[in-house]
Amino acid sequence: MSKEMVAMILAGGQGSRLYALTQKTAKPAVSFGGKYRIIDFPISNCVNSNIDTVGICTQYQPLQLNEYIGNGQPWDLDRLYGGVHVLPPYQKANGSDWYKGTANAIYQNIAFIERYKPEYVIILSGDQICKQDYADFLQFHKEKNAEFSVAVMEVPWEEASRFGLMVTDDTDAITEFQEKPKNPKSNLASMGIYIFNWDILKKYLEEDEADPNSENDFGNNIIPNLLRDKRRMYAYRFDGYWKDVGTISSLWEANMEVLDPEHSGMNLFDENWTIYSRNPGLPAHMAGKKSCIDNSLITNGCKINGTVKHSVLSAGVVVEEGAVVLDAVIMSGTVIKSGAVVQRCIIADNCVVEENAAVGAAEGEIAHTAAGVTIGCSATVKAGAKVYDDVKEGEEVC
Amino acid sequence: MLTTHKDASVMGIIFPNTYDNLVPQLVAERAMAAIPFAGRYRLIDFMLSSMTNAGIGNISLLTRKNYHSLMEHLGSGREWDLARKHGGLNIVPPFAERTVTKIYAGRMEALASILRFLEAQKEKYVLMTDCFQALNMDFKALIHEHIESGADVTAVYQVADIPDGAKNGNYTLNMDETGRVTEILNNDYRTGKQNLCMNIYMMERERLISMIKESSVRGQRFFEREMLAPNLHILNVRGYRYDGYVARIADLKSFFDENMRLLQDDNIDQLFDKNRPIYTKTRDDNPTRYVEGAKVSNSMIADGCIIQGTVENSILFRGVHVEKGAVVRNCVLMQDTVVEVNANVEYLVTDKDVLISAGKKLSGSDTFPVYVAEAHTV
Repeated sequence: MSKEMVAMILAGGQGSRLYALTQKTAKPAVSFGGKYRIIDFPISNCVNSNIDTVGICTQYQPLQLNEYIGNGQPWDLDRLYGGVHVLPPYQKANGSDWYKGTANAIYQNIAFIERYKPEYVIILSGDQICKQDYADFLQFHKEKNAEFSVAVMEVPWEEASRFGLMVTDDTDAITEFQEKPKNPKSNLASMGIYIFNWDILKKYLEEDEADPNSENDFGNNIIPNLLRDKRRMYAYRFDGYWKDVGTISSLWEANMEVLDPEHSGMNLFDENWTIYSRNPGLPAHMAGKKSCIDNSLITNGCKINGTVKHSVLSAGVVVEEGAVVLDAVIMSGTVIKSGAVVQRCIIADNCVVEENAAVGAAEGEIAHTAAGVTIGCSATVKAGAKVYDDVKEGEEVC
Repeated sequence: MLTTHKDASVMGIIFPNTYDNLVPQLVAERAMAAIPFAGRYRLIDFMLSSMTNAGIGNISLLTRKNYHSLMEHLGSGREWDLARKHGGLNIVPPFAERTVTKIYAGRMEALASILRFLEAQKEKYVLMTDCFQALNMDFKALIHEHIESGADVTAVYQVADIPDGAKNGNYTLNMDETGRVTEILNNDYRTGKQNLCMNIYMMERERLISMIKESSVRGQRFFEREMLAPNLHILNVRGYRYDGYVARIADLKSFFDENMRLLQDDNIDQLFDKNRPIYTKTRDDNPTRYVEGAKVSNSMIADGCIIQGTVENSILFRGVHVEKGAVVRNCVLMQDTVVEVNANVEYLVTDKDVLISAGKKLSGSDTFPVYVAEAHTV
């Protein structure tokens, strides 16, 4: 038996720009949109695109991610042949190594991919919020008779120099690749999502591995090598919602955009493209007698008796009477006590914001906390603050 | 409480159809056990979860009729951790015997159809229950008590008024000072607090097997009436009092009231004890979206709802839409009910997939909620 296409999700990054949020968990396992984790998006996209064999390359704080993925059942990926597999680096007869780069992560899993004898491999990123039909992308790849295709987004010209850019001709064939150039020749930014013919990918991975000077990276090494050899390379234009949630502010923004699907294009309510997730099994949420909830997402298990406006609350969050939550992302199990004001911030799982504490401000950078911290009574956490540890009563954190 | 007894292995037997006749509206297309409750559950979830949380991993459901929705809900039993190599979930539809499909009348007849199965099991004890109640009971404590007391049969009861709907279908217990049952009354009509039987029984599997054989010899059909009540002098039947939260569905009115009673915090906390989770079939709904202008108070709302209007003192099941200007007060709206623009509903129980069209006004009263059947448009 063979599979037409196998998906490999790169989920090994530490997510250092998420600071306190990724102290104890890998970026792909970070909560998003109330009941999801970031990794739910690429996995659900695979399932909705009829890809049933998914490898997840992970190496940083894999515990939560492993537990979350489990046997893949919530995504219908507990299969006899295929399904979802978490792939950490492992000891081999000739030694062992961490994943040195994105290309090396795939190289070290060549044996996994070979088991399924695929024609194509799609490389996905574990830190993007995007609903994309990979079947459509594959169709494009086949129609172009391509050996390599990359999904690209049109970005505003003035921002183009922040991205890896694909310069194309009028058939969408790629003629040049510019990594964060000063003078962009194109505004087609790479989304870091690639389809390869497996024989080509394998050949270039092996060649790359043999090169001691290589960084073993798709963008810096594999793609330039393909260009050098004039391989058949095409850019596939995607114009849906796409967001790299690698920073606190972009993660917060993406959550806020979920609240406004009519304008943002991030619609979690689309029955034709369900995003699946592991269910925490909590009862329906309670909106109490004193609750005032407006323009928000509330997940099962929440108990709301205060004010919640323009916010995203994950499962089991408690907002006591007299507490105010504005423009905030509150992750699962966190308790906001009476009189506390929480705004423009991300509070991670299982935190306690004690009475009359203030987290975040109406303006400025987005504040955030690590999981499991307590913000003491009447303490103040200012805009942009990064809270790694408990904040004592009355203390001020900048 | 973990029992220290050497063999405390228990298998479960559930009768999903008992008391179907009490709520004809809700069981038109389903069994009692499949009645939706508490926003995202069905009654069976509470019984199955209580059993699995007590380590019972071999559970048989003896269905009588209308069991399709129940089977669809349960699937392989995976969500309750009952998709097992050994034991697991065993759904037994009515037994097609030679040429006639036989629908049992009493518990003993139903049990007779699984006699061979029961004989082949390995568990020492049997926990046998109906499924007309939502509760989160610590069965470990019951198992322990049954073994400690040396009873032949332990019967769980609560001290409560007999609900109006259950006047024609209840058992009450009289006990001596040691807790031994001296009398079992059927269809008790007295007012005031009684020892109301919860139809949850524990006994040794071997004893149940011999009761089944005996009943078939004598043509007896009913467990409480014919097997227990006349034999109390030789059978050591003991009462086990349960004081925790229980929602007993005895008619449509009690279904409505029991849903409303969930709006009190202590009831919710007892039913959804953090140490004993209640499992159910997942639906992959998104979180509930409160759109600008939503006004909600004192309500229980499951995932997947979209709320643009006003909701007060209500239970909203998964996927309910309350559109702009719509007002929902004192209602129980089951899954995927849509209340369109400017509709106004009060004291309403809607079944699945009901549509209340724009501008419609519909109201029952606190003593008589209006019921709208599955997939109807008002």
